[in-house]
Amino acid sequence: MSMLREPFRAGLASLKLPTYRQRTTRAVARCGLAGKMCSGFSLPVAALSASIMIAAVSVVPAAQEEDLSAVSVALALRAEALIIARCSVCHSPDLIVQQRLPRERWKATVEKMKRWGAEISNDEADLLMQYLSARYHPAAPDQLPPIDRELGKAEPLTQEPVAIAKGPLTGVAARGAGIFEHNCQACHGAGAVGGMGPRLVNNPVLTHEESFWETVVHGRGAMPAWDAVLSHQDIADIHAWLLTR
Amino acid sequence: MKEEPASRLLSRRTLLGKLIQGLGVALMLGAIPRVRAEEVAVSKNETDGLIVRVVRPLDAETPVQEFASYLTPNSRFFVRSHFGPPPTETVSEANWKLRVSGLVERSTEFILEDLRQMETVTVTAVVQCSGNGRAFHRPKVPGVQWDRGAVGNAQWTGVRLRDVLAKAGVQAEARHVQFRGADRPVAASVPLFVRSIPLEKAIHPDTILAYGMNGRPLPLLHGAPLRVIIPGWMAASCIKWLTDITVSQDEAQGFYMQTAYRHPTRPVTPGEVIAAADLKPIDAMIVKSLIARPQDGASIVHGPVMIQGVAWTGEGKIEKVEVSVDEGQTWEPARLIGENHPYGWRQWQYIWQATGSGPRTILCRATDDHGQTQPKTSPWNPSGFLWNGWDRITVTVAA
Repeated sequence: MSMLREPFRAGLASLKLPTYRQRTTRAVARCGLAGKMCSGFSLPVAALSASIMIAAVSVVPAAQEEDLSAVSVALALRAEALIIARCSVCHSPDLIVQQRLPRERWKATVEKMKRWGAEISNDEADLLMQYLSARYHPAAPDQLPPIDRELGKAEPLTQEPVAIAKGPLTGVAARGAGIFEHNCQACHGAGAVGGMGPRLVNNPVLTHEESFWETVVHGRGAMPAWDAVLSHQDIADIHAWLLTR
Repeated sequence: MKEEPASRLLSRRTLLGKLIQGLGVALMLGAIPRVRAEEVAVSKNETDGLIVRVVRPLDAETPVQEFASYLTPNSRFFVRSHFGPPPTETVSEANWKLRVSGLVERSTEFILEDLRQMETVTVTAVVQCSGNGRAFHRPKVPGVQWDRGAVGNAQWTGVRLRDVLAKAGVQAEARHVQFRGADRPVAASVPLFVRSIPLEKAIHPDTILAYGMNGRPLPLLHGAPLRVIIPGWMAASCIKWLTDITVSQDEAQGFYMQTAYRHPTRPVTPGEVIAAADLKPIDAMIVKSLIARPQDGASIVHGPVMIQGVAWTGEGKIEKVEVSVDEGQTWEPARLIGENHPYGWRQWQYIWQATGSGPRTILCRATDDHGQTQPKTSPWNPSGFLWNGWDRITVTVAA
């Protein structure tokens, strides 16, 4: 799977996202702060090779100050993965995609979601705010490609090599407990005894491994796809842990 | 009606409830695949033909051409909630109860059958999301980007809220009535959707608790088994899946009453900080009209064209609807037609002689008996509530 993604990623290597900036002194002061934050992961300016992004950049009206501080591809992918993993526990990403908000309203929104229990660290909240205000700013076009198609499949948050080609993975139950708690518990309940999502303890799906993997990787019904977030080793670990329950 | 402490009636009901539950389980065990297949079919029918804004929790609006009919069919009625419907077993007749407590003489529980035994009331009323038309506000504001269809007109059947409150007995110091439904957020850290209305509105004879919609049992997506209907008011107070009524001295506390669903009482500018004193809860609807037909973007030929739509307001009635085909420079009166119920919408029509060729814009605006007329655009507000700007479609006249 990761092999397939490579050419697409290479095409996006020079991706730069426009950042909306309001023309008030206070907003500029805030952006100055954000600029410092960005400078840590700024990329050299390069040609926009990804055609999907050209539309997004070219419609920023001339009247608006253009602040093209960069969000690197790697960080954009990580933000995408966070949206799928953390935000879509409670709501599908289409709610995000339809917003066109200035930075301070994205900031307020991300902070509210964190306060309401979104499982994101402060750094992750900053990244989300940076990404959302760059992509879904007031001057962005009405039609942007769906969140999961724009950048293709995002990279797993944990970066272990995917060993699927080398044969079946061996899950480590002890690791799986923590990964489950962070990613699955909100819906499937503490101890996997069920919640909004079904009970997984002794669930027949555990013994139909193909079905288990299919569901986790591609999603099913209300459950989002997790291949952008969990590595195959993560999934194997969760599976191993669930079998011990 | 179940009164506390437990009576003989209660124990009989509990037994009956257990029997019904047992029967339900037996049925399910025998026929799980069939039941599941039906559930899938129902849920598909319930959203077919709607414009889905958010997949989960489901928010979907009605295509406006549907408003050519006086009543909006249940399956085409807009759907909105903060957390999505509760699990069906929670609101099944066997498990569901309505609790009335707080500043009452006796905390009282009702099962659905208790309510069916009470005097039945039917009211035709428009129900509209406070954010209907949010997508038209500039600058854009956060929230579901509703276009024109987060509204509908239906016949609601149930009992008067005042009759339910009377069974529990309202204490003298009561001022507000709080509502809570069975829907729950995914994370416990998210505030519950609790809302309240002033007591005088709660005891208004037209404020009802509805278990029927357009002559059918209230569908799950619309709040089964029981929802609040406050004719003339925005849907934000029309709590679905109602389980708890709390009579209180104060407005409900919490996010959805004290922070959300508040509207500035004075003009505000984007980015400005608005003092709490300048915000009041969303309550009554304001005057509004829509063009149902022709469809926006339609191609039409020379000659007479029937323009039709609907108009409604909050606690008054529609006096007139006007149409403009010259960007609002001149307005022609439309004819009000069809049924006329106090809280329902009015249908209207206007025959336009289409001439020339190329794109033409058609506008409509309504005026109510309080002298409110739809403005060209509505005042900007941070949550994008109460949009009632002139409705606008563009058609192309063929040469």
